Amino acid sequence: MMPYPDLFIWWAATISAGILFQVLVSIYLYPRRRKGLESAVSSVGKFWKNFAFVWILVSLLILYIVSINAGSYALFAAGNIVVEVFLLVYVIKNSNR
Amino acid sequence: MRIKPISGVRFTAQTHQRGGFKATARQSLTVTDKDYWSITETDLFSTLETGPSGISEQEAQSRLKTYGYNELPRKGLSWTTVLLRQLKNPIFAILVASAVVAGFFGEAEQSIAILSMIAISVALGYFNEYKAEKIVEDLTQRVSLKALVTRDGKTYEINSRLLVPGDLATVYIGDIVPADIRITESKDLQADEATLTGESFPVDKAPGRIDAPHPTPQQMTNYMFMGTVIAHGSGRGIVVETGNRTEFGSITKSLTRPHPETEFQKGIKNYGSMLLTLTGALAVGIFALNALVGRPLIDALLFSLAVAIGLVPELMPAIVTISLSQGAGKMAKRQVIVKRLVSIEDFGTMNVLCTDKTGTLTEGKITLKDYLSLNEEKDPKVLTYSLLCNDAVTDGRIAGNPMDVAIWEYAMENGFQDSAKPFTKMDEVPFDYQRRLMSVAVRRDGAHTFITKGAPESVIPRCAYADVVGKIEPISSVLKPIEAKLSEFSGAGYRVLAVAFRSIEAKPTYSVDDESDLTLIGFLVFSDPPKEDAAQAIFTLKEMGVNVKILTGDNELVAKRICEELEVPVKGTVVGSELSQMNPTELQSAVDDATIFARVTPEQKLNIIKALKANGLVVGFLGDGVNDAPSLYEADVGISVDSAVDVSKEAADIVLLEKDLGVLANGILEGRKIFDNTLKYILMGTSSNFGNMFSAAAASVFLPFLPMLPMQILFMNLLYDVANMTLPTDNVDDEYIRAPRRWDIGFIRKYTLFFGPFSSLYDFLTYGIMLFIFAATPALFQSGWFVESFWTEVFVIFVIRTRRIPFFSSRPGKWLSILTVSCIAVGTIVPFTVLGEFLGFVPLPSNYWVLLILMVVTYLLLVDAGKVFFYKVCKCMW
Repeated sequence: MMPYPDLFIWWAATISAGILFQVLVSIYLYPRRRKGLESAVSSVGKFWKNFAFVWILVSLLILYIVSINAGSYALFAAGNIVVEVFLLVYVIKNSNR
Repeated sequence: MRIKPISGVRFTAQTHQRGGFKATARQSLTVTDKDYWSITETDLFSTLETGPSGISEQEAQSRLKTYGYNELPRKGLSWTTVLLRQLKNPIFAILVASAVVAGFFGEAEQSIAILSMIAISVALGYFNEYKAEKIVEDLTQRVSLKALVTRDGKTYEINSRLLVPGDLATVYIGDIVPADIRITESKDLQADEATLTGESFPVDKAPGRIDAPHPTPQQMTNYMFMGTVIAHGSGRGIVVETGNRTEFGSITKSLTRPHPETEFQKGIKNYGSMLLTLTGALAVGIFALNALVGRPLIDALLFSLAVAIGLVPELMPAIVTISLSQGAGKMAKRQVIVKRLVSIEDFGTMNVLCTDKTGTLTEGKITLKDYLSLNEEKDPKVLTYSLLCNDAVTDGRIAGNPMDVAIWEYAMENGFQDSAKPFTKMDEVPFDYQRRLMSVAVRRDGAHTFITKGAPESVIPRCAYADVVGKIEPISSVLKPIEAKLSEFSGAGYRVLAVAFRSIEAKPTYSVDDESDLTLIGFLVFSDPPKEDAAQAIFTLKEMGVNVKILTGDNELVAKRICEELEVPVKGTVVGSELSQMNPTELQSAVDDATIFARVTPEQKLNIIKALKANGLVVGFLGDGVNDAPSLYEADVGISVDSAVDVSKEAADIVLLEKDLGVLANGILEGRKIFDNTLKYILMGTSSNFGNMFSAAAASVFLPFLPMLPMQILFMNLLYDVANMTLPTDNVDDEYIRAPRRWDIGFIRKYTLFFGPFSSLYDFLTYGIMLFIFAATPALFQSGWFVESFWTEVFVIFVIRTRRIPFFSSRPGKWLSILTVSCIAVGTIVPFTVLGEFLGFVPLPSNYWVLLILMVVTYLLLVDAGKVFFYKVCKCMW
């Protein structure tokens, strides 16, 4: 049985709020360009790519909530390793050296 | 007291008629009419109650009491000033307040811990800065000046600080003029007034009246000004002003105001204000929330206080001072002495360098450029005749008039020194300022020749003929091309002397009457040549993002010529008369566009610097004259040289031991490294501390116990700061120091907002692991979070310290790596030790470490991925 069950909802809300804050800051920092509709449509793919790290954050949030709710070391460890590999590829692909 | 006789000195006789001056009453020694330049010599004596025998010793003592010492007020090094400077920092205010509150509520350990940190920071800052200032003060100490004075008819040497108005003072070549002196007698007197007016050539000085209501120092040829140097001849005159009433002193007076704040100081202040606001809001919020959830008020207060302290990078002053001191040490090895440590960072961020021309871009020394016949070819005869008709002393060393010295130096360097040997000098008609020429009579193989050398406008009217390619022609037939050529030389900024001769019969003595019917043979062309390495230095500065602007008292043609020779691109030229017509808006636009500012007064230099600063640029000013001192104060970085006058060195932030732009480039690089390492500390502190403290605040609301005890927070904070102590030695990526970077509080705010939550996310995750996987007790929870929090905030140093992606492509400094790993080791084992027990920690289960490693690796890679978004996508650059 999960210890401190009454705190889980608080904890999940807090970590979700943290991620939400991070997403909002990212949107705030993302350059807002005045472009026509055409360029806006054509830049949808770019938008997804630019926000890749935000999707990673959201995925991590899901992983952490699910694995901790399940109390599973294995799920937590495996999920982390997958994300780490993905992150490593991402940073190397975006290397500025 | 050593008596220095002056008998034997030949002064040019001067006769002055008493004009319509009304004799001043005996009691009106404190004269109201200060136009000493315009009155006759007799009236001068009368006004200042002196005479050809000077004043009496008794009168001198009396006047000394009235006028005070002839010295400029100097601000000595005060340990209290240096100490107070360390304490003028908002961060200290927060820490002291925290210590007082902790002590007030009986938390003596916390209070002592905070006070210890303050003491360490203050001591480090104080000793480093005091030591640096002491070195510079020692450097700027100069031997006291002596003055040759005539009192009661006797001439002797005194300390120049004892001079009083009315004293009769005598100066010789090489002397520094000890006060403002109205000249009454002179012999070939020339003064180098570059320190006062920026003029690189010596100025002729002679007795006489100046009929101008408000003459500039350049027009006051009957004055010798304090701080200027006698370049030639000798002179005597009445001291009219002493101390800070002199021209030198009036410039110095404007320096009594404090240094304007540097960009770095403003940045630190803004940063302190931002922290103060953030810390205050967080502390009040945490206290209120904890009180609302029913925690004891004292616990709530101390916890909120600890969180607030956790947010403050309390070792920042120490880190900054260590960075600056280490930088100052490195710069001293590169011939750059830092007087005011805080200016180093501005040195690195400087993007405009205003410099004078003489001695910086040029050698600051007159040299013979050419000796030309009238058909503009090198003519050894012109050089030989100028060696004969020459006043320089050549016994062992070459001394005398700079132009005569330049001729001899050229001859010796180029093997012409013996060309005059076949001649025997028979007589000399000395130079004087009415004729502006000198003549000699020489003999060779029984033939006598009379040679004249001097200003072309004086020599040419005495010529009847001209020697054009060996053909003697009437001077009138070649006058126009000669005048055109002279105009061209003058326009190009060269100083020219004409050489002429005539055959003459032998006679016992020769006089000025013989200076007629001469044959003009050619010209001597002088220049102050560009420094060999100046072009490379300017190119290097340009590459480093520093634009060089030239501010000179010389004419624009000279400055342009120097720029052409140095291949410095000139965007525009503005002269002083144009500047004086501009309103502030026009001035701001003009200073951006122009490269050369010629014929500018000290006040205009100051206005140019102010306008550049108003345009948002970080301005450095390199100057060494008295006239440069106000600008040195106003600039973000005032740079002077070791050979500068005291007042300039006093005003400067940085003193170059060599007047060399190349030395500057090294200093700038060092400044940029220091700026970058200081910035790293601030970015790391605000982002990871902000995240940690934010998560502590959030946890304190929903947890039934405190997520970390106040002492644990302080311990972690101290350990973290120790890990950062070697940050000043960290490597800086090359791309960071290629261009100047300015303090940008907006960037710091964005950085904190973006990277702070990463840390919070992993703090929240640790809470979840500790609570829901390990069913942690309060002590285990606090231990687990302490280790995770410490690991993440220390390891992330390696990610944040570079903008490179991936972070491991930038190599950290050796000492930073060693110290951070050591601190990580300490933080990891603490929960297993007695100290850990004292702090309230318990040992952690082994499987926690596996999860911790996975978390930290993910965290570091996530922050690196965040950098891709922050720097590349959002283009949040600095």
